[in-house]
Amino acid sequence: MTVPEVLKATVRIGAPPAEVFPYFTDPALMIQWIGEWADLRPVPGGLFALDFSKTPVRGRYLEVEPPRRVVFTWGVAGKDSLPPGSTTVEVTLTEDGPDTVVQLLHHDLPAEEFDGHLKGWTSMLDLLVQLHTGP
Amino acid sequence: MSAARPRVGVDSSDEGDPADAILRALADPHRRQILRLVRGGELAAGQIASHFDATQQAVSHHLQVLARAGLVRERRDGARRLYSLDPQALDPVREMLSELWPSALERLKYVVEQDQKKKSAEPKRAGRRP
Repeated sequence: MTVPEVLKATVRIGAPPAEVFPYFTDPALMIQWIGEWADLRPVPGGLFALDFSKTPVRGRYLEVEPPRRVVFTWGVAGKDSLPPGSTTVEVTLTEDGPDTVVQLLHHDLPAEEFDGHLKGWTSMLDLLVQLHTGP
Repeated sequence: MSAARPRVGVDSSDEGDPADAILRALADPHRRQILRLVRGGELAAGQIASHFDATQQAVSHHLQVLARAGLVRERRDGARRLYSLDPQALDPVREMLSELWPSALERLKYVVEQDQKKKSAEPKRAGRRP
């Protein structure tokens, strides 16, 4: 089964799109809401690198159209189930009165794969067991 | 402002926070042991109970907790109840992202709105009165 999954999330923000957009392209602004470190080159083909919770997220900007739309790829360095560039995050900012509605679509997430689940499961379970039983 | 997280369109059929139910279910060593047993394949409740000193009733309670948390699947076969690891449980990738985006966007909202307040409080508002 390789049905791509799309994950969707939205939020309404009390500011116009031009004020919100830089939070997806300026590293100093981006890490205020996601991640601890970012290196961003917001031009098509430019680097999208973000570390959060020790997860090295790597990708490229595909579309940068201030202040309404930004698209970048998203993957995790060293993670076979989600390699860099394997999924795409599409963000649209829609003006609505004084607000901006941010819609985020995360495309091409890996489809259900039994082995992958079990592998992930094993490590998650092992991690929890370690947490509960000490080192 | 509501503290509720926006729902995402993936597997959000559970009431409450599914992560809480999962973590509670995993907090018990017997239940973790049960998960290790059923990881290898489907087992009947009696077979699972035979691995424990606990009463069958206690084991069956643990199985219910695991099933409610979505960690194991229950199937009836006549009088027997069979349990297996739910292959969709805790998909690390989807779990991570389905938790990540809504909470990250909530933080984005907070940060942008705080920054907006600071901006409008500072320069332009010359004719401000108490």
